[in-house]
Amino acid sequence: MSQTATQPPVLSVEQIHVAYGSTAALHGISFEVHKGETVALIGANGAGKSTTLRAISGLLKLRSGAIRFEGRDIANQPPDKVVAAGIAHCPEERHVWPAMTVEENLNLGAFLCRSRAEREQRIGMAYHRFPRLRERARQLAGTLSGGEQQMLAIARALMSEPSLLMLDEPSLGLSPKMADEVFDVVRAINGHGVTVLLVEQNIYNALDVASRAYVVETGRTRAARPAAALRSDPELLRAYLGG
Amino acid sequence: MDLFLQFLTNGLINGAFYALSALGLTLIFGLMRVVNFAHGEMYMLGGVLGWFFTTHLGLNFFLSVALVAAVMAAFGLLIDRFLIERLRGEGEEPGILFTIGLSIFLANVTLLVVGPAPLKVAGAVPEGALFIGPIIVTKLRLMAVAVGIALMIATHALIRHTRLGQAMRATFQDPMAASLSGIRVARVHAATFALGCTLAALSGMLLASIYSAQASVGGLVSLKSFVVVILGGMGSFPGAVVGGLLLGVAESLWGGYVATGMVDVIGFVLVILILLFRPQGLFSSSSERA
Repeated sequence: MSQTATQPPVLSVEQIHVAYGSTAALHGISFEVHKGETVALIGANGAGKSTTLRAISGLLKLRSGAIRFEGRDIANQPPDKVVAAGIAHCPEERHVWPAMTVEENLNLGAFLCRSRAEREQRIGMAYHRFPRLRERARQLAGTLSGGEQQMLAIARALMSEPSLLMLDEPSLGLSPKMADEVFDVVRAINGHGVTVLLVEQNIYNALDVASRAYVVETGRTRAARPAAALRSDPELLRAYLGG
Repeated sequence: MDLFLQFLTNGLINGAFYALSALGLTLIFGLMRVVNFAHGEMYMLGGVLGWFFTTHLGLNFFLSVALVAAVMAAFGLLIDRFLIERLRGEGEEPGILFTIGLSIFLANVTLLVVGPAPLKVAGAVPEGALFIGPIIVTKLRLMAVAVGIALMIATHALIRHTRLGQAMRATFQDPMAASLSGIRVARVHAATFALGCTLAALSGMLLASIYSAQASVGGLVSLKSFVVVILGGMGSFPGAVVGGLLLGVAESLWGGYVATGMVDVIGFVLVILILLFRPQGLFSSSSERA
């Protein structure tokens, strides 16, 4: 963190408020992500972590607050503009297109890329990173196992060549072994220079892969800590998460 | 037996146009969740515009097909962009009320402009019968069916192989994932509505080259298209084709062997049967997505 603190953050979220109809879901979420970091948002179920990601990617409108990405205001931009700006959102429960093949899923992940040759090159890179997907290229995504679908969802998100990847609950419903594999992939992606914002219910997995973490509680950010500090202080974790 | 083959042929010919029209309706419902009660009026407008271009202006039939397609696609885009867009995410009821209102409006404006008389679309080939074994088919019908089949194949190719078609299927299967991949879902909706209107209109124009177009026909066409969509399964491409042919043949056999006056009843009998025994339709849309 020390070497990045002098630079402006890649993503800064300031006091955002979001409501579903008349029910307020977020009342004051603020955090920053610096270039090359992996930052985790942790907190209990329903605390507003997924809603925060959906607000950043433009699926939800803000009531108030600001979101800046690489110095540009992206608050309330439509999702295609946010993708074009360089943010990819891999949603909770994977949301692959079940009746399309693995290859079609990947191809459409690069929907904004007009050059077919470029798209094919990116698909080649996805297969290089996820060899299992190459074996399954012609299979319908709905027939893949949960772990394979998660890999496909991540690979699809990377097809837009984002500088920031937002991952929502990537280990949800996976076996511990499969979850470990997914987090190895997240580390590798981060190692290739992609900044990662991670939402995860499995706190220990999240703190293992992240360099810093924010605790989200009932629609507010409560605390920001280096992940190592949170991990080594179960008392503190329990206090925030009620675990 | 010869009579049966003749009824079967007539049924398949009418069924091809039911299929073409229902294809438009099933695309709109499957992707946009809009129950389009103005679908029959799009069909009717296709026939009236076809009359205007071919008989009134004396233009070539195929040029007229292209013109009708262009006019109705533009019309569909405008309706979606300025009217249906406002109802997005409000559930199905506002869409139903809106399209019922639209159907009344379009039918009455057409009555005002061209009157209630039947209007003939001048076909591409002269009247004249062809004898295929024991079956008699007019050249006009064969031509119209050939164009209809070509349109279905073109629609299938558009959905399977173009970037727009891929975006449509992605939006159909998971709209959120489509948005997050940078697909502009609102544009996909507009294109789908335009395509659905165009298919209905071309079906109307082709059938008006065999029979005739009339301002008041829309309601019955909407109902029959719904029958086909329920038979085939909501949102299913093969379902619309098979359902259309099935309805055409059933009507033709019923009319031939039972009672001509009650032909329009048979579709509803089929719907009741399918709802009792296979409510998801012949092709379930959960596995056979567009």
